[in-house]
Amino acid sequence: MTDQHPLPGQPDTSRRSFLKTGLGGTLLLSTISVSAGLSGCATAPAGRIGAIDSRMDASYQFQFLSRDDIALFEALLPAILAGSLPDAQNQRRQTVASTIERIDQGIVKFGPPNQRELRKLFDLLNFPPTRMALARTWSDWPSVTATDADAFLQRWRNSRIGLLNNGYVALTKISNAAFYGYADHWHLTGYPGPPAWMTESLPQFTSA
Amino acid sequence: MSMNDPIARGLAAGWNITDASKLTEDRTVEADVVVVGTGAGGGTTAEILARQGLSVILLEEGRLYYQKDFQMDELTSYANLYQEGMSRATADGAIAILQGRCVGGSTTVNWTSSFRTPAETLNYWSQNLGLSELTPDAMAPWFEGREQRHNMSPWQTPPNLNNDLLRQGCEKLGYSWQVIPRNVKGCWNSGYCGVGCPTNAKQGALLTTIPGALDHNAQLFHGLRADRLVRNQDRIDHLLASAMGADGITPSGITVTLKAKHFVVAASAIGTPGLLLRSQLPDPFQRVGKRSFIHPVNATVARMPAKTDPFYGAPQSIYSDEFNFKEGTDGPVGYKLEVPPLHPAMAAGVVAGHGQQQRDNLGQLPWMQSVIALLRDGFHPDSPGGTVSLRDDGSPMLDYPITDYLWQGLKKAYLTMAEIQFAAGAEAVQAVHLDSGWYTRWSEAKTAISNLPMKPHRVRLFTAHQMGGCSMGHDPATSVVNGFGEHHHISNLNVHDASVFPTSIGANPQLSVYALAARNSTRLAQKLAPSG
Repeated sequence: MTDQHPLPGQPDTSRRSFLKTGLGGTLLLSTISVSAGLSGCATAPAGRIGAIDSRMDASYQFQFLSRDDIALFEALLPAILAGSLPDAQNQRRQTVASTIERIDQGIVKFGPPNQRELRKLFDLLNFPPTRMALARTWSDWPSVTATDADAFLQRWRNSRIGLLNNGYVALTKISNAAFYGYADHWHLTGYPGPPAWMTESLPQFTSA
Repeated sequence: MSMNDPIARGLAAGWNITDASKLTEDRTVEADVVVVGTGAGGGTTAEILARQGLSVILLEEGRLYYQKDFQMDELTSYANLYQEGMSRATADGAIAILQGRCVGGSTTVNWTSSFRTPAETLNYWSQNLGLSELTPDAMAPWFEGREQRHNMSPWQTPPNLNNDLLRQGCEKLGYSWQVIPRNVKGCWNSGYCGVGCPTNAKQGALLTTIPGALDHNAQLFHGLRADRLVRNQDRIDHLLASAMGADGITPSGITVTLKAKHFVVAASAIGTPGLLLRSQLPDPFQRVGKRSFIHPVNATVARMPAKTDPFYGAPQSIYSDEFNFKEGTDGPVGYKLEVPPLHPAMAAGVVAGHGQQQRDNLGQLPWMQSVIALLRDGFHPDSPGGTVSLRDDGSPMLDYPITDYLWQGLKKAYLTMAEIQFAAGAEAVQAVHLDSGWYTRWSEAKTAISNLPMKPHRVRLFTAHQMGGCSMGHDPATSVVNGFGEHHHISNLNVHDASVFPTSIGANPQLSVYALAARNSTRLAQKLAPSG
């Protein structure tokens, strides 16, 4: 998102729920997008990323995720998808990269209000002071191991603060749906896909 | 492209359909009636008015998708056919909102369950809320008419195992169960209702009332968002609308001005209050957006000894109303029990989790069975519903606090569902809750579930039924429209969707919307009919 106006959406309710959580710092979240921008965090969409400085497919144009967001998911996906990612290093990297692309595609369709919510969440996780204070993750994401990432996810899942539970669900839901919902990974759930007797007889498949 | 597809045929035959993303300059159009929304309410209204010879323009914010687009794929369908790409939620994010955003609205993606408004609900409205003209007897012909129009009847094919296990569990425990009526014609029993019917069997608005309206010269704009109704005295003068770009999400900058003698809003229980609030129409008692209901849904999942293949077969065919009205219409909250279909992305979204544990959960999908409880909200003082308000950018959002009254019902529903699954032979049952493990015995589950904290986010909650927010009633102090959907303060404005319900329905609402819209549109057609 290029428009970095701080939190036009739902100030009342998010403040209220923040207060309810007893976390104090009511305005903390609403200032993060601004501070993150000022501190040099990459909050603009990454666009096309060259194959040289990353493992991303240079033909994919990121519309929402920033370079920092991509690094965040590169750190989190090995924990979120533990047991489902391929073992071979190359294949594993490719699977993570293509899952991040599908996460980006999905978020584009979320529309502006939920994109603003996710921007707040990702900025909070990428901005070092809030990453340390709220995620309690000390190193930057590219240095975070899968074990550390898993510990972070567990902390947010088990937190007594509803807002952090919500962050956990948001991160895992968009990742799990983008991964397990993708045809190449259906077999991991035992779902055989649309029955052949349908795809072989329906016009939208046969005349494609 | 198949010419057996009615939409493809209609397009070829010259239906008046405008894809607003293709517009290159601002336009002004005019008709007798402008209908905002193409779902259950809007489609019904447009067809009935167009058949009476009135000129009708239909507006849809989502895009026109039909058979060629329905490729049985979750990710593309959720991205394109659902509100906010399936990410819509209540203001605090605690309740996921499943709602259609395409021509046909939610009827294009619903699971085809077709219930009449329960008699208890209509009696409550007529006896307690002053809607004396909406008795079960008075509504019966309207239900019958819509059942015919949408080919609704109890499902004759044996239920899939996912549904049959709900029946088996109820049988064992002596709970009542029934077969669900579905709105299908020549259904292949494939299980893909939720991603757009691939076989054109589902008789939602997309294949019934929308073609009916277009055959009678109605004009359809899709990819066009209704921004604001502009008022002159006690009448709406025109509607301002924004064209969406090719992505269906970002406004292209092109605007359309729609003029009409009469306006009908049927933009859903979130969209309609949103439009009325943006339009700043007279609302002296601040009723718009209040008393929004959602049938809060919680769920349990079970691992069964036999393969259930919960992704195949008619998604909903068995239900139980054992607990729906048992303790009185306005006693402790009642709930309807149903079954959801489980495809990989849906299952991954419903069951929150990560890592090896999530992998193990999802890996047993072919043996998984799930039951959902739909709570009947809005019948008790401790269930006042939620509130639709506007964000700074003008988009509507729903705030829905869960009261203790509802938490008690949700806890009870978890217990009922687990008990039914064990009775049906489950090896293990898990409440869809962040703190629930897998329980292997009913006694263990009973104790553990009784101790689960009932808190937002920890209890995973969903809604596929949005209702209320523009309540009907006689008294303008407590309602927005009268019992015919006519706005209390604006003489040429009707509301014909689920937003007029003064409580939730207590059943999947599509037939309630169809029937009430048919009744109110028939009256409106008489009022507007060309004289002579």
